[in-house]
Amino acid sequence: MIQSLANWILSFDILAGLGNPIAWGLSLFIVSALIFVFVAVNAIVLVYIERKVSAFMQVRLGPMRVGKFGSLQTVADALKLLQKEDIIPRSADKILFLIGPWVILVASVVTFAAIPFSDTLLAADMSIGLFYVVSISSIVVLGIVMAGWASNNKWSLYGAMRSAAQIISYEIPVGITLIAVVAVVGSLNLQTIVQAQGGTGNLFYWIPLPLPNWFIFHSPFLFLAAFIYLIGATAEINRTPFDIPESESELVAGFMTEFSGLRWALFFLSEYANATLVAFLVAIIFLGGWQSPFSNYAGAQIGFSILTLLAVMWTLFVKAKTQRLSFYPLGLSLMITIAAWLFPGFAIWLASPGLFWMLIKVGSVIFLLMWFRWTFPRLRVDQLMYVSWKVILPISLFNLMGVAVWMWLTGEIHF
Amino acid sequence: MSYFSNITNAVGTLIEGMKVTMGYFVRPREHVTLQYPDEVWPIPTRNIGVGELDAYNTIRSKLVVDIDDCIGCKACERACPVNCIHIDTYKGGPDEDLGTTSNGTKIKLLTASFIIDMSECMFCDLCTPPCPEDCITMTPDYQFISNDNLKMDVTPEQRWRDRNLLIYQFSKVSETERQQRKAQAEAIAKAKAEALALKKAEALKAAEDKAALAAAEEAVTAKLDPTSAETVSASESVSTDINSTGSEVKVDIPIASVTLAETPVPAAEPVANTPEPETPVAPGDDISTPDSSENLEDPTTKESENG
Ligand code: SF4
Ligand code: SF4
Repeated sequence: MIQSLANWILSFDILAGLGNPIAWGLSLFIVSALIFVFVAVNAIVLVYIERKVSAFMQVRLGPMRVGKFGSLQTVADALKLLQKEDIIPRSADKILFLIGPWVILVASVVTFAAIPFSDTLLAADMSIGLFYVVSISSIVVLGIVMAGWASNNKWSLYGAMRSAAQIISYEIPVGITLIAVVAVVGSLNLQTIVQAQGGTGNLFYWIPLPLPNWFIFHSPFLFLAAFIYLIGATAEINRTPFDIPESESELVAGFMTEFSGLRWALFFLSEYANATLVAFLVAIIFLGGWQSPFSNYAGAQIGFSILTLLAVMWTLFVKAKTQRLSFYPLGLSLMITIAAWLFPGFAIWLASPGLFWMLIKVGSVIFLLMWFRWTFPRLRVDQLMYVSWKVILPISLFNLMGVAVWMWLTGEIHF
Repeated sequence: MSYFSNITNAVGTLIEGMKVTMGYFVRPREHVTLQYPDEVWPIPTRNIGVGELDAYNTIRSKLVVDIDDCIGCKACERACPVNCIHIDTYKGGPDEDLGTTSNGTKIKLLTASFIIDMSECMFCDLCTPPCPEDCITMTPDYQFISNDNLKMDVTPEQRWRDRNLLIYQFSKVSETERQQRKAQAEAIAKAKAEALALKKAEALKAAEDKAALAAAEEAVTAKLDPTSAETVSASESVSTDINSTGSEVKVDIPIASVTLAETPVPAAEPVANTPEPETPVAPGDDISTPDSSENLEDPTTKESENG
């Protein structure tokens, strides 16, 4: 993308004199800025959505005062955080204290370079994209330990140590789960992984249910692997129910305790950047990335008709259970279905791969993460380790073998 | 085997929990609590009046006094079980027209201060039935602490409100006038006390003279004299009465001082000061005027009503 942007810049007569290196540097800067802006805006939007989702799940309304339905609340909060005093504790290790948040932020933002937002929107097309993302996102733990140690506070240190233990433990099952996927594709390039999931096929190869060729439908093992990855990734980004590094009831705010103002906002930013990254990875690896769920526009029409049917059933189910009519899912799917049948152009757009589908999938996964967060109670430290080493690791190893056997059975590989 | 059953148990319960939260997520409005300043519960419409005649549909809440109709009879003050109504009345001048109430009653006493301490009020509604003019009423306004922009104002705009202390001053009489009236009343009370003392002294003197005369007469006729002792004890009881009335005048002063402390009138000085020098009524003048004898009576009548 950077080279094509540089070519585009050079295609203008006025800018042609810049020469390739300068144009390349300029486009590098633009792309980095775009990614950073994406991460920042994404954090603001996600904080709002998270507050709303959590409020609804806890039978509240959430922010309602700033803007319509509180939509400007996070903007106001961000402005407030920027104005806050930047406190550095006297006994803190100053250099590490100052560097820590930035290490975390950079480690989480830089990973987005390898993420294919669509078939063309990709900052760096790396042949080791997946490896790059996984390894760079592990640097976050370094920043957390720096921040926790530098704070010179027992809560911060506890949080940092727990975080390190947790991330290192969960790296292993997550890595093994990803190896299973890489074994299917035969490539670490994220773009190749997405491209391998185009078209429609049977569910689990043999069950005659036409579904998109996403890896989550590839085999029961990869289906399980998707959830294993989701759990492990949730633990890696320190989200509830694995938020023991910053568990409020025990450690105040864990490694963030001593931070304030902008530095604290950086933690928040990277937290949501990490959540988004995990959602992107799940979408790319298991849900077909930017691939449309429909192989052609007739598929889009039929698919949304089925969705409308499901929505009707859902509405009736809710009505039967609560004597209340909830028309939101029904109305939305009905509108899209009608539009898809009336305007073939819309159906074609729905069937074509692109950023829209990517964001839909990422949004769904983020919602799933929020759903986890506001439902499950936090694990104890020993339970956390138990889940990692005794449950998830064996299952992921079993998965890896299962995927190999499955591929041998379906004839994808031969020994 | 408990290993696998643990895992399935965990997954099952997690799914169960997710079902619950999703159930709340899709229809939050059904369960969510009342959004208080935007929505309020409807006020109950049941009859809470004392009898058939004073049946009215309102909850017992903030008290409001229509001070234009108040005749300052203090019936409400006496009825209040917690003594949270504090009324200060002063008799108007001889030619002063204090107006009439909407019932047609002529107002004779100027209600210089009418304070209801809402922080003490227990909303028993015992103060409203005795009011002869129906001017103290309960309103359905239960939102005491409020910003003005929340538009909860149901009370007459003349009432003065201190929302920090919940002490409500209903009287329209200005602070300076209240001070003047107070000084006047104190002066009158003092003059009355002095006059009484004078009278008593005279009576005592007369009695003494009489006694002396009688004693002189008795000395001539007899040696024992029981009557003179009786008169002396009687005069002592009168003097204690004077002291008690004087102290009762002072009991009213702290109530006025509450308003003094809150109002922004700069010259406000709390409690029991000597009357300010620029008060128009000099104590000496009143005694000398012929009207003074009429004025002299009212502090005592006021006090007797109060008791
Ligand atoms: S409602 Fe009861 S407590 Fe309140 S002022 Fe009236 S009599 Fe006193
Ligand atoms: S009873 Fe009514 S008229 Fe009498 S002092 Fe109270 S409010 Fe005024």
